[in-house]
Amino acid sequence: MAATRRLQKELADIRKSGIKSFRDIQVDESNILTWQGLIVPENPPYNKGAFRIEVNFPAEYPFKPPKINFKTKIYHPNVDEKGQVCLPIISAENWKPATKTDQVIEALINLVNEPEPEHPLRADLAEDYSKDRKKFMKNAEEFTKKNSEKRPAD
Amino acid sequence: MAAYKMSDDDMEYSDTDYDDYYGNDYEGDMDHMVPMKNDPEYFDVACLTDTEVERLLNESVEQLSNSIQVTPSLAKLLLHMYNWNQVEIVAGYRQDCHRILASAHVKPPQSTTAKDPGGENEGEIICPVCLGTIAPEAVGQLTCGHKFCKDCWSMNFEVQITQGISTGIECMANNCQVLAPEDFVVPLLKRPVFKEKYQQYAFSDYVRSHPQLRFCPGPNCNIVVQAKECRAKRVICTACKTQFCFKCGGSYHAPTDCETIKRWLTKCADDSETANYISAHTKDCPKCHLCIEKNGGCNHMQCWKCKYDFCWMCLGCWKTHGSEYYECSRYKENPNIAHESAHAQAREALKKYLHYYERWENHSKSLKLEEETLAKIRARTQNKVMAGTGTWIDWQYLLDAAALLARCRYTLQNTYPFAYYLESGPRKDLFEYQQAQLEAEIENLSWKIERAEMTDRGDLENQMDVVEKRRTTLLTDFLQV
Repeated sequence: MAATRRLQKELADIRKSGIKSFRDIQVDESNILTWQGLIVPENPPYNKGAFRIEVNFPAEYPFKPPKINFKTKIYHPNVDEKGQVCLPIISAENWKPATKTDQVIEALINLVNEPEPEHPLRADLAEDYSKDRKKFMKNAEEFTKKNSEKRPAD
Repeated sequence: MAAYKMSDDDMEYSDTDYDDYYGNDYEGDMDHMVPMKNDPEYFDVACLTDTEVERLLNESVEQLSNSIQVTPSLAKLLLHMYNWNQVEIVAGYRQDCHRILASAHVKPPQSTTAKDPGGENEGEIICPVCLGTIAPEAVGQLTCGHKFCKDCWSMNFEVQITQGISTGIECMANNCQVLAPEDFVVPLLKRPVFKEKYQQYAFSDYVRSHPQLRFCPGPNCNIVVQAKECRAKRVICTACKTQFCFKCGGSYHAPTDCETIKRWLTKCADDSETANYISAHTKDCPKCHLCIEKNGGCNHMQCWKCKYDFCWMCLGCWKTHGSEYYECSRYKENPNIAHESAHAQAREALKKYLHYYERWENHSKSLKLEEETLAKIRARTQNKVMAGTGTWIDWQYLLDAAALLARCRYTLQNTYPFAYYLESGPRKDLFEYQQAQLEAEIENLSWKIERAEMTDRGDLENQMDVVEKRRTTLLTDFLQV
């Protein structure tokens, strides 16, 4: 499978890069098409915790884009209750086979740090985020403390 | 069917019509099927097969390719991206060839051309997609210079084609919008089934981007219709006989225009359920005007707000009904609608809509019923001929009459959305007057066709002329496309 060689290389590169905001990458030996990892955001209110995500690569990868799901609940205008996230770089229309997973992860981390209320998956949160930032921050911080994973020590 | 009785005035109007008929060089021949220049519905079109379309497109490609000296494949892509407007392309090309090529995504914007990384290390190029090394002869690149191995290109094309994409296939590099032309894609496709699919999808894309061409919407029909100008006129496919509007591709809709008929059809789809429900199931309480839904069989209603007891049928006080309830016929319309509740006013608006919708719907049903009449005419002709009452040819005029009836009723049906959106005023008065005339004459014709005998032929043909004249008059005055 063409996907395997490229994913092995991409995985090795990401692990080697030592990126701080995406760590603890776990991949099942028998199935390189599914990755799990921990998103560690920098910006409040999400800097109070960490969020586990799953990246699913299709068999036709890299000719078709991967899918990303949040495994940890997150209070975010662009992530719905099921953990689905709307990320333009991996939409079918925008996808380019030359796009690397580290670029996708980078785009995801940017979105977590800077929500985009203009095209929300959760309209109620987007409205609070735009109109009542104080209330949004308070709710999001509480939610993060209660539901998110522990941040790595270093 | 709304019955429109002819008044004396109307009779006078028809007399003038006859004057026109004999006075002008109106071609009152029975053969209404031949399009005429003075026919408001006249539209010059050609029905082409895919080979003919291919030839037509290739002629444009060749012309452009010769006049600006680019490969036919690039010329085709340029034409597709510029909606086959050769004049615009040539003028733009002469002015600034880079700008026009870049804006059609045929070439990259000048600044972003990929630097050739293989300069010093010719044999070692890494394909950014599969991350394998590629030999120089296995490199494939578009005008942007992004290098990928040919296997990755092939795989990418197959995945894209499976998703129905053909002319829109882009370079595989990040943020690069350069399009892959036909002569780059096709040689890299390994399996014939993908070549075939690519050609088929690309052909559809070219026809869709061409302002003079339309696919016939008839089921399984491969005809492409060509018209010199894109107007909301009637096209009848020579192969499958489907009628459609050239501009919007939907069912033909004169005298209504494309936008209005779209609004109307959307409205019908959205509202008819609600409209039917509200008109059938709700009324206002006659005392406090609260909107009340009837959710049971009993006609004795009690308003839950003001506790008023009333009759659902006549809205009268329940107590006055007594034993004579079932003779209840005292339904009266409320005269001061302006002071009524919002619900009542909404219902008034719905009443207006329903007035037009019911007639639109009714003509649609009549058209279907008259298709059955056609079958009956055929059977009757057969019987007459067998009984020795005239020959088969003697009865052919009835088939012409039925075809004319269908055409006129179709136009009549489409006058209702037009009238619904028409603002009140003299223009609407005139329109509705002509509409009523057409309606009355069509019902006359329908009546006469159903009862036609050979002795009536003159009378029937007269009626056919009157109806078609009414239709043409209405279209001449109101069809503006």
